[in-house]
Amino acid sequence: MNSYEVVVLGGGPGGYVAAIRAAKLGKKVALIEARELGGTCLNRGCIPSKTLLRLAEVIETIEKAKSWGIETGDMTFSLSKMLGRKDAIIQQLRSGIAHLLKQGKIDVYNGVGNVQADGEITVQLAEKKEIIRGDKIILATGSRPLVPAIEGIEESAYFTSDTIFDIDKIPESMVIVGGGIIGVELACIFASLNVPVSIVEMNDRIVPSEEPEASKALSKSLKRKQITILTNTKVMKIEQHDGRQLVHVESDSGKAQTLDTEAMLMAVGRSPNTSAFNDLNLEMDGAFVKVNSAMQTSDPSIYAVGDVTGGWQLAHVASAEGVVAAANAAGETETVDYRMVPRCVYTSPEIASVGLTEADAKRQGIDYKVVRVDHAGNGRALAQDEKEGFTKLIASTKYGEILGVLMVGPHVTEMIAEPSAFIHLEGTVDELASMVHAHPTITESLYEAAASWIGKGVHH
Amino acid sequence: MAKEIFMPKLSSTMQVGTLLQWYKNEGDAVDVGEPLFEIMTDKINIEVESYEEGILLKKYFQEDDEVPINHVVGYIGEAGEKVPDSPPGESGAAKEQEDVSDSRQAQVEDLTEQGISETATEHISAGSQGEKTAAEKPRATPAARRVAREENIALSDVSGSGPNGRIQQNDVMEFATSTTSAKATPLAQKVAAAEGVDLQEIKGSGTNGKIYRADVENAKGPGPVPAASEDKRVKMDGIRKVVAQRMAQSKSTAPHVTLTTEVDMSDAISLRKQLLGPIEQLTGFRLSYTEIILKAVASSLKQHPNVNVSLEGNEIVYKTDINLGLAVAVDNGLMVPVMKQVDQKGLSSLTEESKRLGKAARDNKLAPEQMSGGTFTVSNLGMYAIDAFTPVINQPESAILGVGRIHEKPVGIDGAIELRPMMVLSLSFDHRVIDGAPAAAFLTALKETLEQPVKLLV
Repeated sequence: MNSYEVVVLGGGPGGYVAAIRAAKLGKKVALIEARELGGTCLNRGCIPSKTLLRLAEVIETIEKAKSWGIETGDMTFSLSKMLGRKDAIIQQLRSGIAHLLKQGKIDVYNGVGNVQADGEITVQLAEKKEIIRGDKIILATGSRPLVPAIEGIEESAYFTSDTIFDIDKIPESMVIVGGGIIGVELACIFASLNVPVSIVEMNDRIVPSEEPEASKALSKSLKRKQITILTNTKVMKIEQHDGRQLVHVESDSGKAQTLDTEAMLMAVGRSPNTSAFNDLNLEMDGAFVKVNSAMQTSDPSIYAVGDVTGGWQLAHVASAEGVVAAANAAGETETVDYRMVPRCVYTSPEIASVGLTEADAKRQGIDYKVVRVDHAGNGRALAQDEKEGFTKLIASTKYGEILGVLMVGPHVTEMIAEPSAFIHLEGTVDELASMVHAHPTITESLYEAAASWIGKGVHH
Repeated sequence: MAKEIFMPKLSSTMQVGTLLQWYKNEGDAVDVGEPLFEIMTDKINIEVESYEEGILLKKYFQEDDEVPINHVVGYIGEAGEKVPDSPPGESGAAKEQEDVSDSRQAQVEDLTEQGISETATEHISAGSQGEKTAAEKPRATPAARRVAREENIALSDVSGSGPNGRIQQNDVMEFATSTTSAKATPLAQKVAAAEGVDLQEIKGSGTNGKIYRADVENAKGPGPVPAASEDKRVKMDGIRKVVAQRMAQSKSTAPHVTLTTEVDMSDAISLRKQLLGPIEQLTGFRLSYTEIILKAVASSLKQHPNVNVSLEGNEIVYKTDINLGLAVAVDNGLMVPVMKQVDQKGLSSLTEESKRLGKAARDNKLAPEQMSGGTFTVSNLGMYAIDAFTPVINQPESAILGVGRIHEKPVGIDGAIELRPMMVLSLSFDHRVIDGAPAAAFLTALKETLEQPVKLLV
């Protein structure tokens, strides 16, 4: 039986990062992954979706370019080439992870791992079963798409984010159930391929995790892409008819309608993968594993990170938690600072935010002041012909502490690192307002917001 | 070629030094003047600074190891240089230096006899000139002086963290960064200003000790919601470590016995009242009970020389001088300045001396000779609501007197109950060298002297 100082279950952005950090701290480490290295993020999530969203961006630019005086012929799409490019990127990143694990002398077990109550871990490999031990165990088993119990769903053909990136032909139409981040990103991809898309959302707005004004801005732009958005609406029943799906929906006000579609995507949320450690009887927080600030479960020798612990369910949060869990498993004492975690939606326009929302600040009883700067007057945004969007700055009235920033616009997912750094290094509006920003850039809007916040705005 | 680092010989009696902690790990780059490790001699702990530049190649000894003087404790050289795997023993370089600097060594030893501690750098490179200028210049290591020159910092503005307040390179560097206040985040600076928290007092939790808002709030005291019950941990070093080691050493080697007696302080109080004015006029200092007690102790010790003793090896040494230590509470520990030949001094000079030494101790400015040579110690907790306690003997002395508060108590006098200002004296003695009867006789004599201080004139 092989014995390790640290055994990591799951090779996604939480698990493989934890394994490498533990190895760098001098520990003997094993990693168990049932599928491919990179987990959901690399194989069925962040990376494939961003690869395809890049297509959507280019298609949209080509279309926009007509009004700038650039004429092309009719566009044609090769789905197989598009997916081929996506697969090549995944393959490259996957072998990158394999290389890093090898460099860290980490033993990788490609099989389904199961932690027994006595702490031993059985791994079902292709040809045999192996048992290993770990002084410390890090659970990074992630999550999977949640399929809601809707009448007729068993008989229906539906996609989830696990299967949609390997779709074999561009469908004639698409209904997306769930208007969260996954739903709206995929809506953008398919809409750019000229697929009529409908989003069905139970909430009163899409991307309910973000501020209402971000939902509003995105909603406006999605509608311009001919995407139908049905909010306050529930799926009641799904029926099959001639290989097509009939999706019966009903709004809060009782208005019922039937959506006739070729393809249907379930994007209503994700549920944690806990079967690998059911025997441990760890303390849970709802469906998720409960952890303390050191990422420790109710069993002090077992840590858990990423989606399986709930929270934001973001890859970079899982990695940050993985690093902390690995350090703590190696005897150090670290905690994750969640204040500066950026949240990104890669639609067009993009949404990026960090820190508190206005509602959070209100709930916490903090005195704050908000400045919002629209990109409509921003030189770079106009030059790019991407003037939809805005920058919103929330800071505490007492010290000018930057509590939160929300940006909507092109490439704001890259720009959010600036306010994130300010929050991390505890800069205040005064420093932000005295920092020189390049002109013309969209980040100037952040500077304008800060300057305006202290009453020294030039353009605002 | 790799250079030897050896255990410096700091006094003529020093045979071994205890390695307290390393400041560098193998493979670390070391600069001239950087503290390498801390050692403890029988008297005090000091930091040994490097006088070579290079990579610390080898450490032969670990914390709490005892190393004979001049033995090689490690090597500094270039990365990859070969050095012996096991300790090579006595250093050739150390011997050479000893021969060359014979006369200077003697001079240094003269001082160290009285307890002066020298860092290795000064020991070798500064030598005699340090002594001459000591009166005008702040005590600082050569490396600290160099940095101060480069950074244009007045050494008198820097407080030293080394032994006897000696300024080290690190102190100057820290001073340089602290004055630019770059060590706190902008938010932390604002919060500190608003809450009236001194940033200099705070230890930052960020990279290189950068102070964050949370650090300021923690320093402010417990907030409304105490951050998860994590305990604060502080590495024991400096004075704290010396006190800890010496207390444990004393308690574990000397069988302590404590006797107590109650003293009627009526006459001592009236003596103090009479002398307060004249002594203040003469010296500018106010006479306190401490000095009266010191004087009475010295007089009683003179009558009972078998308490003014010290155990050295197999011999009991009867000390000729009566040198009294006075325990003074300082930040992070306890200092014991020593007043020499107290039996030969009057109350006014005693008052002046004890006040000056007390202040020097609190300011961390005691010279080593002001802390050595004690034959008996007095520890006064009378300013607190303490009646009696069991003081720990300050070795190599053999007895210590604990002084409690003066407190009115009903006392039976000639068949009547009267309120009298009473004070408890607690005498702890080392039963290996002093027996119960002579200790009791000494304490009785002391009580009588304090009750009839006129006896001091005899």
